Amino acid sequence: MDIATLKRLEKLNQLALTEEQEKAFLEFFSKKEKEAEALSEIDTENVERMVHVMPIMTVVREDKEIKNFTRDELQQSAPETTDGYWQVPRLVE
Amino acid sequence: MYITKNGVKTDKAIVLDDMILTKDMPTTAGSRMLEGYNSLFNATVVDKLTDAGYEIAGKANVGEFAIDVMGETSHFGAVKDDEGNLSLGSAEILKKEKVKAAIQLDVNGAPRRASAVSRLVFVKPTYGTVSRYGTVPVACSGETVGVMAKSANDCLEVLEVISGYDAKDGTSLPADMIEEAGEIKRVAVVTAFDGSIDDGVKADIDAFVKTLEAKGVAVEKIDGAGLLASKTAWNILMSAELCNNVSRYDGVKYGYRTSDYTTIDELYTNSRTEAFGDLLKTAILYGSETLSDENYMKVYDKALRVRRVTVDYFDSLFENYDAVLMPATSKKAYGEADVKDMAYEENLYTAPASITGLPAVVAEGVQLVGKVFSEKALLELVKLCKEGE
Amino acid sequence: MKYETVIGLEVHIELATESKIFCSCSAKFGGEQNDHVCPACAGMPGMLPIVNKRVVDLGMTAGMMLNCHINRTTTFDKKSYYYPDLPNAYQTTQWFAPVAVNGTVEIETSKGKKNVRIKQIHMEEDAGKLVHDDWTNTTLVDFNRTSVPLIEIVSQPDLSSAEEVVAYLERLRSLLRFAKVSDCRMEQGSMRCDVNLSVRPEGSDKLGIRTEMKNMNSISAITRAIEYEVARHIDAIENGTEELVQETRRWDDVKGKSYAMRNKETAGDYRYFPDPNVMPVVIDDEWYDGIKATLPEFPEVKRARYIDQLGLGEYDADQLVESRAFCDCFEEAYAVCGNAKEVANYLISDCMNLLNKKQMTVDMLTLEGKSLGELINLVTEGKVSRPNAKKILAVMFENDINPAEYAEKEGFIVSNDTGKIEKVIAEAIASDPKAVADFKGGKEKALMALFGKCMKELKGNCDPQTLREMLIDAVNKQ
Repeated sequence: MDIATLKRLEKLNQLALTEEQEKAFLEFFSKKEKEAEALSEIDTENVERMVHVMPIMTVVREDKEIKNFTRDELQQSAPETTDGYWQVPRLVE
Repeated sequence: MYITKNGVKTDKAIVLDDMILTKDMPTTAGSRMLEGYNSLFNATVVDKLTDAGYEIAGKANVGEFAIDVMGETSHFGAVKDDEGNLSLGSAEILKKEKVKAAIQLDVNGAPRRASAVSRLVFVKPTYGTVSRYGTVPVACSGETVGVMAKSANDCLEVLEVISGYDAKDGTSLPADMIEEAGEIKRVAVVTAFDGSIDDGVKADIDAFVKTLEAKGVAVEKIDGAGLLASKTAWNILMSAELCNNVSRYDGVKYGYRTSDYTTIDELYTNSRTEAFGDLLKTAILYGSETLSDENYMKVYDKALRVRRVTVDYFDSLFENYDAVLMPATSKKAYGEADVKDMAYEENLYTAPASITGLPAVVAEGVQLVGKVFSEKALLELVKLCKEGE
Repeated sequence: MKYETVIGLEVHIELATESKIFCSCSAKFGGEQNDHVCPACAGMPGMLPIVNKRVVDLGMTAGMMLNCHINRTTTFDKKSYYYPDLPNAYQTTQWFAPVAVNGTVEIETSKGKKNVRIKQIHMEEDAGKLVHDDWTNTTLVDFNRTSVPLIEIVSQPDLSSAEEVVAYLERLRSLLRFAKVSDCRMEQGSMRCDVNLSVRPEGSDKLGIRTEMKNMNSISAITRAIEYEVARHIDAIENGTEELVQETRRWDDVKGKSYAMRNKETAGDYRYFPDPNVMPVVIDDEWYDGIKATLPEFPEVKRARYIDQLGLGEYDADQLVESRAFCDCFEEAYAVCGNAKEVANYLISDCMNLLNKKQMTVDMLTLEGKSLGELINLVTEGKVSRPNAKKILAVMFENDINPAEYAEKEGFIVSNDTGKIEKVIAEAIASDPKAVADFKGGKEKALMALFGKCMKELKGNCDPQTLREMLIDAVNKQ
């Protein structure tokens, strides 16, 4: 991974690393890349990917409205609200 | 008897690690991001415990989002034992206070490692048997709520209370899908990890093998090399899921917000950069990269397939054995220097059970991994080993 | 040079459910800001998504209505990006195995009939709403719409003009409203559309540079936006007025222009992966067949049947097939009374008036068809007069009543008691000798005053023809 890719990755994840952290990450990543390459030696040609470790079962609920929380409760730990809205800086579209 | 803050005397006191959400106590996940954060609801396990007459004694410190070796990345500082070695908050409270058990979210094996070095018992039950509703989500496909206690008996007692189907968790298993495993009579000892563990851990394994044999359990050495790939695969899955799960912490709705912003991107980036620790940042970036167009098939999808390969490998072992014995740690104790940059390494021993969702029990400094729904049988085996001591 | 336009559409449709897709908050349109919100749809940790079954029902229904193949195992995936209307910074959608794939929709334009291929239909959660406040230079966030269930219908690039796009959208709207998948109201945002458009020289097999346009909230705005965008593309190609780039543009209907959206360096990089908290939804035969059995006849099939078999006029049939609720009521009422024309009249004039008065849309009709049929029977059997039937209908609109019982209770049953009628006539004649004299003197209209008085006295419960005959008889006897 080059520094440009890392910078883009930081932006994508809304993080800003220091130069030192960037250096450490690049090292970490190249090590992980090698480990990931080692996985390719495992034959998974006819193996299905496994997202869920449990037996597949359909889990659905009935379409029923339940209200358990109030707006005031939900916004009690909000950094900034106005008239029941969460507030952020003006977006430019 | 334990006396709670409210003055209640109880022999049913429970500690929760700070990944378990509670309505009347803050839940921080060890992160500056959630400092002082109050959940609006209790985790299912909390309600189950209080309904059964248990008292919540308090919350215990964890590493940031519980992915580190043993709490060393907590924003609120690491916890040390009396010898100055690293420990987990729950383990120290258990050792020092008259509490029955600690409830922990086993994301990346930290509770298992802490139990091993503290000579406590920890059970990570089969994925889906204990509700994850109300736990801080990190690596949802494998993380499991478990119980740490001073004895297998206490683990059994509390596990019984917190287990059971929960309609609020879409991965919770209905009772009719659970078939408890039978008694453990044959144990395989994995040798593939021998090269990476210290003599103290080796001695613990040898001692446990002797006890098993003395109790009439058949023990056989196996290579177990099929378990070595779990670490890499789990690191990929855990990081990708973590990256996505902690993206919700952005300084907008709740939690930490930077004071240094004028645009929305500055608000996001500075809040996250200031509030998250180094390991978490590494995990986020790594996880994100495993999902890029370039890497998805090569890395992420591959790890999902290796997960199935590992499940199949365990199944093949379980044709001849009821449980697999392996280390939980490389060391008998961790100093601060021992854990630096080790979160993605020390999980070599815990990743096989994490990635497969299989039950694991740590006791006497060693780890037993069993077939699905064998957690009680594993704890019974530990009980048997302790009999007559 | 002549050009041809290549258009593919992504249509988002909010599903007609009571609750949201993964949590139990209300999915209704509107409400006080942030009132339909819980920790899950406010991006707080700890709650776990449980799929609303009705969303899958409606996703399947939409798929079947658009002739799609239904994926019997359908899965949910996470799509990550940061935006304040997305509280978790990920949207749960379907990337790997959408509920429906490979469909077709037949459209008709001035150039004839054409099939538009559907690539896929996927289920997903909506984003919240942002209110931009220029005064305070802030953006306000409302999560009421967050996690309201959507389907996204992705077409192949088979459309070539604004006219075709409009025909396609009208067709989707008609089919999905008919199947009760959604009310498809563009003005409320329950039907939204992104237009992917490119232009190339006629006959060329190479696609031009494609732009995606968002933010059109009416059919006419879509038409304007397409016309504008086609002209912009051609201008750029012919005159080099600007360099075309693949980008997302925002349509400003007031200014009549499209603008490039702030092009983030990371735009379009969503890092999809399967959601470990949502198990695959497996659609078994019972579920599949159950949904199949609820599919309505297509509107044009109904229309033809109403005209050919039930003898309705084209106008009446067109009016009825505008709304599934009207069709259902019509068919139920017809089954009871067997008088199609009469049922159609009550629905198209009287019920429509009542709905208009209440400012309700045709889809909001809740009238029981069976009761309407019974009411019509009472009228045709001469048991209730027409004016009284209208009064009863107004009550039926509000309450679930049995028309016969109600008519009986309220004294709306036509009296066959000739003694009573004779008595009322005698009183009317006695009270208005002038009218009697005028009628006898040849003023036919004078009878109306007497007739009205009698009818009022009888509360309308009298066959008008009978009353008229008896009245003339009585007056002539004077």
